[in-house]
Amino acid sequence: MNIVLRLAWRNIWRQPRRTWLTTGAMVFSNILLVFMISLQFGMYGLMINNTLQVFSGHMQVQAPGYVDDAKMRQVVDDVQPLAAHLREALGSDTVAARARAFALASSEDRTYGIAIYGVEPRHEPRVSNLPGLVEHGRYLQDDDAYEIVIGSVLARNLQVATGDELTLLGSGVDGSFAAAVVVVAGIFESGVKDIDRNIAQMPLTAFQDMFYMNGAGHQVVILAPSLADAPELQARVEALVGADDGLVVQDWDALQPGLRQAIQADMSSAFFMYGILVVLVAFSVLNTQLMSVLERTHEFGVVMALGMKPGLLGRIVLLESALMGLLGFVLGVIAGTALTAWLSVRGFTMPGMDEMAAQFNLPARIYPPVTLLSVAIGPFVVFVFTLLASVYPAWRLRRLHPVEAMRVN
Amino acid sequence: MRILIVLVRLAWRYLWRNHRRTIIMLGAIVLGTWAMIFMTALTRGMVDQMIADGISAIPGHVQVHGQGYLDDPSVTRSIPLSDEEFAARFADAGFSAWATRVRVPAVITSERESRGVTLLGIDPAAERDFSFVDYGAVDGRFLESPEDSGIVIGAKLADTLETRVGKRVVLMSQDPDNDIADRGFRVVGVFEANMQAFEEGFVFVGKATAQKMLRMGTATTEAVFVGDDYRNVEPVYDKVAAGVGDAVTVSRWTEVDTYLGTMLKTMDGFVLVWMIVIFLALSFGLVNTLVMAVFERVREIGLMLALGMKPAMILGQIIIESMMLLALGLLIGTALAWASIVPLEGGIDLSAVGEGMEMWGASSVLYPKLYLEDVVLANVVVLVLGFFASLSPAWRASRYEPVEAITKVG
Amino acid sequence: MTAVRCIDICKTYTQGDVDIKALDHLSIEIEKGEFVCLMSPSGGGKTTLLNAIGGLDIPDSGEVWVGGQRIDQMSKGELAELRLANIGFVFQAYNLIPVLTARENVEFVMQVQGVRPAERHVKSMVLLEEVGLEGLEDRLPAEMSGGQQQRVAVARAIVSRPELVLADEPTANLDSHTAADLMELFVQLNEHHQTTFVIATHDQGVMRYAKRLVRMRDGRIVDDVQQNAA
Repeated sequence: MNIVLRLAWRNIWRQPRRTWLTTGAMVFSNILLVFMISLQFGMYGLMINNTLQVFSGHMQVQAPGYVDDAKMRQVVDDVQPLAAHLREALGSDTVAARARAFALASSEDRTYGIAIYGVEPRHEPRVSNLPGLVEHGRYLQDDDAYEIVIGSVLARNLQVATGDELTLLGSGVDGSFAAAVVVVAGIFESGVKDIDRNIAQMPLTAFQDMFYMNGAGHQVVILAPSLADAPELQARVEALVGADDGLVVQDWDALQPGLRQAIQADMSSAFFMYGILVVLVAFSVLNTQLMSVLERTHEFGVVMALGMKPGLLGRIVLLESALMGLLGFVLGVIAGTALTAWLSVRGFTMPGMDEMAAQFNLPARIYPPVTLLSVAIGPFVVFVFTLLASVYPAWRLRRLHPVEAMRVN
Repeated sequence: MRILIVLVRLAWRYLWRNHRRTIIMLGAIVLGTWAMIFMTALTRGMVDQMIADGISAIPGHVQVHGQGYLDDPSVTRSIPLSDEEFAARFADAGFSAWATRVRVPAVITSERESRGVTLLGIDPAAERDFSFVDYGAVDGRFLESPEDSGIVIGAKLADTLETRVGKRVVLMSQDPDNDIADRGFRVVGVFEANMQAFEEGFVFVGKATAQKMLRMGTATTEAVFVGDDYRNVEPVYDKVAAGVGDAVTVSRWTEVDTYLGTMLKTMDGFVLVWMIVIFLALSFGLVNTLVMAVFERVREIGLMLALGMKPAMILGQIIIESMMLLALGLLIGTALAWASIVPLEGGIDLSAVGEGMEMWGASSVLYPKLYLEDVVLANVVVLVLGFFASLSPAWRASRYEPVEAITKVG
Repeated sequence: MTAVRCIDICKTYTQGDVDIKALDHLSIEIEKGEFVCLMSPSGGGKTTLLNAIGGLDIPDSGEVWVGGQRIDQMSKGELAELRLANIGFVFQAYNLIPVLTARENVEFVMQVQGVRPAERHVKSMVLLEEVGLEGLEDRLPAEMSGGQQQRVAVARAIVSRPELVLADEPTANLDSHTAADLMELFVQLNEHHQTTFVIATHDQGVMRYAKRLVRMRDGRIVDDVQQNAA
């Protein structure tokens, strides 16, 4: 082993208690960082995936302006052929056409206003997980059947069960009166109150018929294999519809503007907290290394008198910090990963998680995934700050004069 | 007492004997304290605002509904108490404000668009103080009486419906017999609110007008009561519950909006956890500092013991030293936190992530709120935990044998 | 009257694998007002004896009496009280609390004893003057010479009028002139206040001030003579 390395290693164990306390601060912060960052990344992933997969998809082809106003007449003409074309051109079946309108839904005893989506029954299950959440009855089947699936809360409020009839009352795309009687085919339960209370789906062809859409819809939903694939897929979609009649492709950020910002807001407050933790660790290292340098002044004087250069001494001091930092890094990552891995199996929850989670389409128990990035990033920053903190103590050595140093007791 | 004076003086002098170490540790404590208080103030500010906004939408601290209404907000589940009965029971009850209202889901239609909304039939005079709409700032005018025949809608909704003050819209809902109840209204005012969701989701009409449209006589679906303190609604709850009897449901705001209620509860926990985490990060350095401080004066400790100081005094001296260091750090940290929060009390603009904040249920301007309780809590947490963290090094210092300590080479 | 009585005391230290008999069935009596020098080569047991008398170290067997009290069975707290009230110490080095000034060091013991500030002040000023440190009262130890520091230590040792002052190699770090001055001071205080002094040393120069010279070797007394001090 390199003599300098050996020297540094021995030096840090001259005061084992101090070394352990300093390393302890790192390990504590590292465990916390590994756990928190893994949890955060896991949560963000779930927030994005759940929100996008429940409904909006990774991107949508829409009329310009629809994303902001969602007006009935901001339509995509011939929406089913467009969706079919995209499916074929992209070689992907996670593409589906939709239309949307607001209407009053009346049962025997109750009337509620709801958002009705016209969907392609054969393709919708590929882009959204709502069809899979049908608890009673079945999902839609025929493109032109006058049937509907509704959320569980709405079903309770309307006091209907599968097979019952609902009267829909709304306005068509031209502002004219639109009405139809539909049969409740199925009832889904997503667990998100707003969705279960406000949303219903019916076959797109029947929807177009009822609301005088004339073959038009409002969106073509496209789900990418994963969030990471979305930008590339979007470029391909844009190439395909760009030539078409003035349609735009909206990415998930535009479709769910709150989502990214909610994550950003949460991240910045989290990073503020992590930053404080890291700086506190740096203070601890600075204190330790400065003291360790000061109390060795005499000793340093002796070795300098023997011919050791101040630069080398400085390097030894930095190496000592690096060794402590490495120790803290390794122990922190091991313990943090163990904790996170355990939670990734057992799941993490806390008081109040139910309500918090429901607000963000999250399950009440989170299984934080262990990834290289989420595990290493926090401890790595701690390590860098450890080194930074020992620059000053190491730099002080440059001003050391052997004779004066030896006089210090 | 005299011993204490001796110990305090010794501790203070020892603290500044190695001023570099003390200043670094002090820096860490100051930063930690500042972070504790600053972060707490931001969080409190956010939650306060969320709750203020949330309560204004609920509204009120305590609500009365017909049975089953909360799950099935239908006009058929109206309150079996007349306005006169409410007035007779609660006019002199000492609430900050109270009102009865009609609240049902409805569909609003312009010649262009339809949207689902919540229809609020209100007595504008009764709700002026706790409404999320600033009556004076409405484009056009707000409702003037329960009999007002106009409608007031949010700016965002007006946008979507392509309507504006002076134009007509149609509201549709159901009457108690489940016949469609609809009526045309002239838009008399357009309001702006903190939260976009409020602008999209709520429309105001006169209470009497709504009752007429919904063919519900003089019934109402909701009574709201505002007390003095949203954190403690029990006095209001008890009075209301006693006054209305069993035929209706009485709920606290924390039950109506469980997300907000949970936020309020978890927030206290979060604040404490944050403070403890910061303290723990600090504690390693603190213990380290004390260990070093003891280590470098072992001989002096031996001397004091030889001179006749009791071990307890050595223990006391180290603990006092630690407490002084913490107290000084807390003092500066608290002052710094105060100094950095006061200039921000006018609000921090977060509109860059405004829609994200709305997803959290918060508005896009954050007003940090410095509570005395939080400052006290941070100080108490640090001092109490600091005391325990100092015990081990102080105990070890007091256990030295005088002879060994004096003859220690080093 | 007997100030110190040790009866058949033994003390064995283990250093590495070797047992060292620091005190080997040693007995000694010291009368009030005596001025005793303990002489021995290094490791002869004089420091151990001094520590046993001062209650800093408990012998393995035998009895130690100080001022009519048996101290080898006292608790730590009782020993602390005893030292505080009855015994003054002067060590070889590191005698002073570095963060306190000369005067504060002298007052320290009185402060712990609970002497009133005015009285403390007067006593410490008088004593500092007596040991020749007038004008240096407010200096920190680091700002004084070795001899001056030892004088402060002496002043502190006698300020509360202990019956017994124990000094362990008080002159070891001093030059011979300063050492002689310090010994003069001891003698003067001994005569002036009738304080009992027990001084452990291996400095030949110190020896001649002793009125009673006790030589030790391997934990035993080999010679015990009264002499006419210089």
